[in-house]
Amino acid sequence: MTELASMEFHPQPQAGEPKPWAFPAPERGSLDNGLTVLRCHRPGQQVVAVEVLLDAPLDAEPAGLDGVATIMARAFSEGTDKHSAEEFAAELERCGATLDAHADHPGVRLSLEVPVSRLAKALGLVADALRAPAFADSEIERLVRNRLDEIPHELANPSRRAAKELSKELFPADSRMSRPRQGTEETVAAIDSGAVRAFYEKHVRPATATAVVVGDLTGVDLDALLGDTLGTWTGSAAEPRPVPPVSADDTGRVVIVDRPGAVQTQLLIGRTGADRHDGVWPAQVLGTYCLGGTLTSRLDRVLREEKGYTYGVRAFGQVLRSAPDGTGAAMLAISGSVDTPNTGPALQDLWTVLRTLAAEGLTDAERDVAVQNLVGVAPLKYETAAAVASTLADQVEQYLPDDYQAALYRRLAATGTVEATAAVVNAFPVDRLVTVLVGDAAQIKEPVEALGIGEVTVVAAE
Amino acid sequence: MPMGHTATAQADSGGLTATEHRLANGLRVVLSEDHLTPVAAVCLWYDVGSRHEVKGRTGLAHLFEHLMFQGSAQVKGNGHFELVQGAGGSLNGTTSFERTNYFETMPAHQLELALWLEADRMGSLLAALDEESMENQRDVVKNERRQRYDNVPYGTAFEKLTALAYPEGHPYHHTPIGSMADLDAATLEDARAFFRTYYAPNNAVLSVVGDIDPEQTLAWIEKYFGSIPSHDGKPVPRDGTLPEVIGEQLREVVEEDVPARALMAAYRLPEDGTRACDAADLALTVLGGGESSRLYNRLVRRDRTAVAAGFGLLRLAGAPSLGWLDVKTSGDVEVPVIEAAVDEELARFAEEGPTAEEMERAQAQLEREWLDRLGTVAGRADELCRYAVLFGDPQLALTAVQRVLEVTAEEVQEVAKARLRPDNRAVLVYEPTAADAAESTDENEEAAK
Repeated sequence: MTELASMEFHPQPQAGEPKPWAFPAPERGSLDNGLTVLRCHRPGQQVVAVEVLLDAPLDAEPAGLDGVATIMARAFSEGTDKHSAEEFAAELERCGATLDAHADHPGVRLSLEVPVSRLAKALGLVADALRAPAFADSEIERLVRNRLDEIPHELANPSRRAAKELSKELFPADSRMSRPRQGTEETVAAIDSGAVRAFYEKHVRPATATAVVVGDLTGVDLDALLGDTLGTWTGSAAEPRPVPPVSADDTGRVVIVDRPGAVQTQLLIGRTGADRHDGVWPAQVLGTYCLGGTLTSRLDRVLREEKGYTYGVRAFGQVLRSAPDGTGAAMLAISGSVDTPNTGPALQDLWTVLRTLAAEGLTDAERDVAVQNLVGVAPLKYETAAAVASTLADQVEQYLPDDYQAALYRRLAATGTVEATAAVVNAFPVDRLVTVLVGDAAQIKEPVEALGIGEVTVVAAE
Repeated sequence: MPMGHTATAQADSGGLTATEHRLANGLRVVLSEDHLTPVAAVCLWYDVGSRHEVKGRTGLAHLFEHLMFQGSAQVKGNGHFELVQGAGGSLNGTTSFERTNYFETMPAHQLELALWLEADRMGSLLAALDEESMENQRDVVKNERRQRYDNVPYGTAFEKLTALAYPEGHPYHHTPIGSMADLDAATLEDARAFFRTYYAPNNAVLSVVGDIDPEQTLAWIEKYFGSIPSHDGKPVPRDGTLPEVIGEQLREVVEEDVPARALMAAYRLPEDGTRACDAADLALTVLGGGESSRLYNRLVRRDRTAVAAGFGLLRLAGAPSLGWLDVKTSGDVEVPVIEAAVDEELARFAEEGPTAEEMERAQAQLEREWLDRLGTVAGRADELCRYAVLFGDPQLALTAVQRVLEVTAEEVQEVAKARLRPDNRAVLVYEPTAADAAESTDENEEAAK
């Protein structure tokens, strides 16, 4: 105890007076071409974030062409009527900008980040890409081949492989959600520049698009700047698109994706449940955090900090698609990796945690800490322009009001222990979870069968 | 007593300022005010990393970092995590070759709690450290190793390249994660000795950045850290100096169950903190950063022989930095085709240097990366500690971007010519095997433990 003798100890300090902070309220408007614009001034954020949302969801992809939305998204940065593909990339990087584009169930999203001093030039390039993309045969051909080359890398990655299998298990085969977002080898190979252009012409227009601009806009004449760039993009009007309902089969069962020799088992245990249009969402967020939001949550308290089976297991809810009529859904899941010999014991403990939670509920102390964390971290989480822009864009994509996030913090603070318990128990019922295990079937199948958590089937990794 | 340093913005620091102080026990303190958001970042760098580890105990610095979250005299069990998260903060720690850092980002009114927690473990970790924590975190870290390195394709590439680029016995020959055998061999007494040797106020820098009152913050730091005794138990670290170039091409071919062939290489580059290192950063950016780089244009766009191609820079202050090339081949393309194209592009670049436009692009990219890093209080706190620990002057963090912008095309060409040569690299080639062959390899590894 010599170590104790030398230092002067003081009692744990009390918190000071909290300073007010609120999730920023954007200003909403539109350009003459129908483009919706959300803007938000964030003092000090010299790197401006711009998100452009296009109403080109994956379920709009023609049959047999899964992946065409992804190829189109990537092709936006592969040349325009003014620049070749190489020139376009060079011009963007000359602005110090990054431009990412990806396609997901709700639509295609372009994310630009650029120092405010070069915002005008970078926005001009993005406007060119949306207004007059080249979609040159040779560039599309290259993107298709590149995408085909990526697929084996994804299949070899345990967590990506698990996600692919869970989607296939949960959703009916005719649902776009059952199939990989970026297409399969067969469907991607069928994509050409004609298919990309047809998809673009049918689904991309300013009237159904939204741009979100966030950053330190001091001295920036954003109206003029937008008018000169995204304002020059034209297109026809369009009817709002119906959102297809999400359905899923969450009969409790286990699928092992066999990876002989794997030193760990990747687990992904999931189903679908309430999304943000459901009043239960704040309670579900709170309860899910208590179950598996951090290393002091229930799952890691046992699986990591007591047993050492894992580097970390997390529970989360992630919106798949959302609609005001309540037909949307979120993926509710538990994921992590456990070492191969302890796969059976780890799953047994995991189920015990869920059963105990259902039987005994959360404690008030757990609920309080969770609220303090979820609400308290907001100012940290939204320090950068990119974080604010991304959340504002999510809200638009999910048909939520612009003040949704600000209100969510108030609703979280008002959610009680009983509500949070009910929500998380309903979200993760022990007999209605689909378990995907990517690991060595020869070693893990028998112990997993012995758990009685559902019928076990084994599929090949490739 | 704390020593003040004026907070006047230096030219080209983007208006950011920092003040420096030193407690009587040797703890260096850097403070930087920014009242835009009600948050405060606390960052503590200990001048110890995997380069200080000895043979047979690789991975100890990182395993020890985990133990720092297992409680101290006044903090029970996982209390460090629970208290910070319960206060609306976020936190973590990381271990690299050259340092171990611990950080909390707090709502501004909870700053004092983070300082109290860091001081408690700096001064009294051994009061709580026991066999149970040691055994548990050993298992957690072994699972971290499996998850991040052993169970993913190409996961051990960096470890293999490092082992090639720095010779046997060199302090940077092994990576911070360590080997399974050494993680198994580490004892509680090793951990205790490690703490007694390296965890002392005079071997650390503490930075606090954000919505703070500097005077009050300094008073809290004095109150909580001031009585922690310093000591001079730290041995002089082993010398990491190496010749500027390797002098031959080192090579290893790995046959593993990977999805595609790959060519990776590590080039020995100038040490961090030098103008030549900034020039090397620019050279690697022109050659292999982003989608307008020379290698991307050549291999991915024109030849269409690669699915991805790029260069990264691992900046190191105590040994040569590493320029890390990573190319994954497309379809059935063979590695020699890629290698010939890479050599041709590097030779051409050494011959002609960057164009004015390439310089502009590379500098704009690195400038944005710096703005990103300094754009959050946590990023700024980490950079201030980095420059204080590695180069003795935190103020250098605030002018780093300016130094990158001052590098000339001639300097970029010079470093490329001197360093980006076939006789200054370690090459790692991946050749995929059938899945059944990989299975027996893994079994052999298990048996070897």
